[in-house]
Amino acid sequence: MPVTAPTSAGPLLQMSGIVKTFPGVRALDGVDLDVRPGEVHCLLGQNGAGKSTLIKVLSGAHQPDDGEITWAGESVALGTPMAAINQGISTIYQELDLVHGLTVAENVFLGHEISRGGLSQRTEARRRTRGLLERLGHSEIPAGREVGRLSTAGQQIVSMARALSRDTRLIIMDEPSAVLDQEEVHNLFRVIRDLTSDGVAVIYISHRLEEIREIGDRVTVLKDGRTVATGLDARETPTKELIRLMTGRDIEYVFPDRPDGQPDAATVLEVDGLALAGTFADVGFRVHTGEIVGLAGLVGSGRSEILETIYGARRASSGTVSVDGKMMRAGSVVGAVRAGVGLCPEERKSQGLLLDQAVYRNITMSSMARFSRAGFMDRTAERAAATELTTSLDVRPSGVDRAVRTLSGGNQQKIVLARWLLRDCRVLLLDEPTRGVDVGARSEIYALVRSLAARGVAVVMVSSEVPEVLGLADRVLVVREGEVVHEGPADQIDEHQVLDLVMEGSAA
Amino acid sequence: MSESPVATETPLADERVTKTSPLQKLLLRPELGALVGAIGIYVFFFAVADPFRSLDAFSTIMYSSSTIGIMAVGVALLMIGGEFDLSAGVAVTTSALTASLFSYEFSTNVWVGIFVALAVALAIGFFNGYLVMKTKIPSFLITLGTFLMLQGANLAVTKLLTGQVASRNISDMDGFGLADAIFASDFSIAGTTFRISIVWWLVFVAIATWLLLRTKVGNWIYAVGGDAESARAVGVPVVKTKIGLFMGVGFLAWFAGMHLLFTFNSVQSGEGVGNEFIFIIAAVIGGCLLTGGYGTAIGAAIGAFIYGMTEKGIVYAGWNPDWVKFFLGVMLLLATVTNLWVRNRASRS
Repeated sequence: MPVTAPTSAGPLLQMSGIVKTFPGVRALDGVDLDVRPGEVHCLLGQNGAGKSTLIKVLSGAHQPDDGEITWAGESVALGTPMAAINQGISTIYQELDLVHGLTVAENVFLGHEISRGGLSQRTEARRRTRGLLERLGHSEIPAGREVGRLSTAGQQIVSMARALSRDTRLIIMDEPSAVLDQEEVHNLFRVIRDLTSDGVAVIYISHRLEEIREIGDRVTVLKDGRTVATGLDARETPTKELIRLMTGRDIEYVFPDRPDGQPDAATVLEVDGLALAGTFADVGFRVHTGEIVGLAGLVGSGRSEILETIYGARRASSGTVSVDGKMMRAGSVVGAVRAGVGLCPEERKSQGLLLDQAVYRNITMSSMARFSRAGFMDRTAERAAATELTTSLDVRPSGVDRAVRTLSGGNQQKIVLARWLLRDCRVLLLDEPTRGVDVGARSEIYALVRSLAARGVAVVMVSSEVPEVLGLADRVLVVREGEVVHEGPADQIDEHQVLDLVMEGSAA
Repeated sequence: MSESPVATETPLADERVTKTSPLQKLLLRPELGALVGAIGIYVFFFAVADPFRSLDAFSTIMYSSSTIGIMAVGVALLMIGGEFDLSAGVAVTTSALTASLFSYEFSTNVWVGIFVALAVALAIGFFNGYLVMKTKIPSFLITLGTFLMLQGANLAVTKLLTGQVASRNISDMDGFGLADAIFASDFSIAGTTFRISIVWWLVFVAIATWLLLRTKVGNWIYAVGGDAESARAVGVPVVKTKIGLFMGVGFLAWFAGMHLLFTFNSVQSGEGVGNEFIFIIAAVIGGCLLTGGYGTAIGAAIGAFIYGMTEKGIVYAGWNPDWVKFFLGVMLLLATVTNLWVRNRASRS
C-alpha cells in the first residue's frame, strides 16, 4: 500500500473548536482532537457525547458550523464524503455500508474501478482484492462472493479492504469490535498494528476499556459535545479517572421527587426467566404498581430487546411474562395491548407515530373502539378527548388538528405518552424516552412519567443515559451482554458504579 | 431496533468450508426462473399447436418479442438502477411522430427528422432523470407525469399539423430507402423471412450484458440500484448514472420508434399506451426486482420472448386472442413467485 511516511512528527489531523448544531441540539460544542501518524487514537465518551457526529464531520457527511480542520499541516474543508476519501480519510461505520448484490471485489473497488479503456479489469480487481484480504489475514474470503452472503465479521473485513484499496492515511473505526467475537478482535488488533507500523493513523471508538488499554496509544474524552481531556496515555490513565471524565454533567436535569416506597404495593408486571436466543437470557424482575424500573446498559446489550419481548413484538425462547397475575401468550402484541401493556419505542418516528396524521388521531389510535359509533368514528369525541390530554400535558403548540410532524421531539413524545394515558394502560414500556428531546423538554417528560406512575402504572424504562435512569427510576437493573448483572434501588448506586458494571469485564 | 447484535451468529470460519457449488450458482442466476418458464411455455405450445412448430412461426414469435424486447432492455437496466419509466411506451410513439412530422412538414430528408427525433428522445430521458434526481420524487410519479404529457402532445401536435390522428405517409421522401433498410427491412434464412429488428434486439441485449458485466458503469448501475447512499459515499456518480439510464431508455425508445415508423410508413398518434407495463413485465419476469440492484439484460430478453410466445402461441393454438393479457398476467405471477422461491432456496442451502 502506498502510504506516505510522515515527513515531520507533527499531527496528521488537527481539529479545533468544532461546533455542530441540529435543531434543538448542540451536538458538538467545541471539540478539539489531534491525531498523529501511526497512532491509535481512542475516542471515549458516553452515548450522546458527540462521537458519532464528530465522525460524520470527519468523514464529510456533516458540515461543521464552526471550527477548523487541519490535515497534514493544511486547513481543509471536507465538504462531501468524496472529499474526505480523496484526502485519505476512510470510515468504517458500525452499520456496514456495503452494496449487497455486488461481489467482494466489486465492493472494494466501487467508485474507483480498475478499468482500461472503459473495460473493467475484473481479474485484476479480484487479484488485488485477494492481496488486500490476505494482508488483513482473511484470504479465505472469496473475492467473487456476493457480500450479502458473508457474515457480519466478514463484511467488516471487506469494509477494511475497501479502505485499504485507497491511499488511506487515517481510518476511523466506529465500535468495530461490537460485532466480533474474541478471536476476531485479536485478528482486528493484529491488522491495526500492521497498519500503524506503516504510518496509518487509526481513530478507534469503543466502550470496552480493556480494548483501549490493549490497542490504544492516546485517548480523547468527549462529554456533552466537548473535549474534556485529550492526549491521555491509553495504558497508564486510571480507569477511575477516565470514568470521572466521562461522567458528571454541566447540565443538571431536574428529576421529580421519588415518593416513599410502599412495601405493600401490588405486583403488576412479573417477568420470569425470560430469554431470547442469542440476545439475552434469564431475565427476571417484578414491577409494582406506581414503580419505575430502569434498565441501564450499552447499545447492543439487549435492553431494547427485553422491552420488545415483554411487549410481544419478539417471541421469547423461554420464560414468562404476567400482568396482574395473568400469564401472557408469548409473541402476541395484541395480547399484550389487551392486557394493558403499552410501548413507546426507541424509533419514535418510524415505529410509534403516524407523522402526517393529526395529533388527535395519533392519540386515539389505540383506543379506536371507544370512539366508534356504528362503524363511524366520532371525531368530536376524539378531538375532545385528545384536547383534554394535550392540555393537561401542555403540548405546544396546542391544537389537535395539526400534523404530528410539525411538533418538536419532546412534544411528539408527549403524544405517544398521551396515547397510552387514554388507554388506561397498566404497564408502560419506555425505550429511550428522551432521545431527540431537547434539554428543556426533558424535565417535563420526566415529570410526566412520574405522574403516570403515581396513577398506579408500572413503568419500565430503558435509557443510554445513566443519570436519567438513576434520576428517574426507583429501581435499577444493569444489563451487560444480555445478562442482568445488578439489581437494586436507584438511590444506592451512582453513575460511576453503573458505568463500571457496564464496561468492566465485558468479553474481549 | 438499530442495535447491533451481541455476537455474530455465523462465525467467519464458515466461509472456508461453504464453497458455492456450480448448481447453486446456476440457481442463483436471476434469469433462471424465466428460462425455465420460457422452455416450459415453448414445449407446451409446441405440443398443442401444430403451426407453432414451423420456422415461420418462430420468426413471427421472435419478431413480436423484439418489438417489446428492444425497450425491455433499457427498462431492465433502469430498473436494476432502481428507477421506473412509465413514459417509455408513449416515448416510442413520440419519437416516430417527431421524425415523420418534422421531415414531412419541413420537407427535409427523412434523416433530418430521424436525428431530430433522436435529440427529442434523449431530451425526454434527460428530463425524466434530471427531475427525479433533483426533486427526489419517486420516478414512478415523475414519469407518470411525462407519460400523460407525451400522450397528450402526441395527439394534439399530430392533429394540429395534419388535421388527422395519424402522421402522413413518408415512404416517397428522400432518404426513406436507407432508413427503411436499417430500421425495418427483412432478410431470409432457409426460405424463412426474418425481420431486422430481431437482429437489433439481440445486439442491444449483447451490448447491455457486456455493459453490466464487463464495464465499471455496469458496477455503478447495480450499486445505485442496490444502495444509492453507500454508492455515493464511495464516489460513484449516482446522478450521472441514473440520468444516463433514463437517456438509455430514451435512445431505445427512439430506435423502437424508427422501427415503428419505417414498418408502417405512418404512425398512429395513440399508439404505445400500455406498453410501458409490458416492458416492465418483461424485465420482472426476467428476474429484475422492483426494488432495484438485481436483474440481467438476458433475463429481460427471455421475458420479452415469453411475451412473444404467449401472444402468438395463443393464435397458433387457435384460441381466442382476447385471452393474451390474461395469460400474460398468469406468467407474471408464476415467474415472480418462482423467482422468489428459487432465490430463497438457493441462498438458504
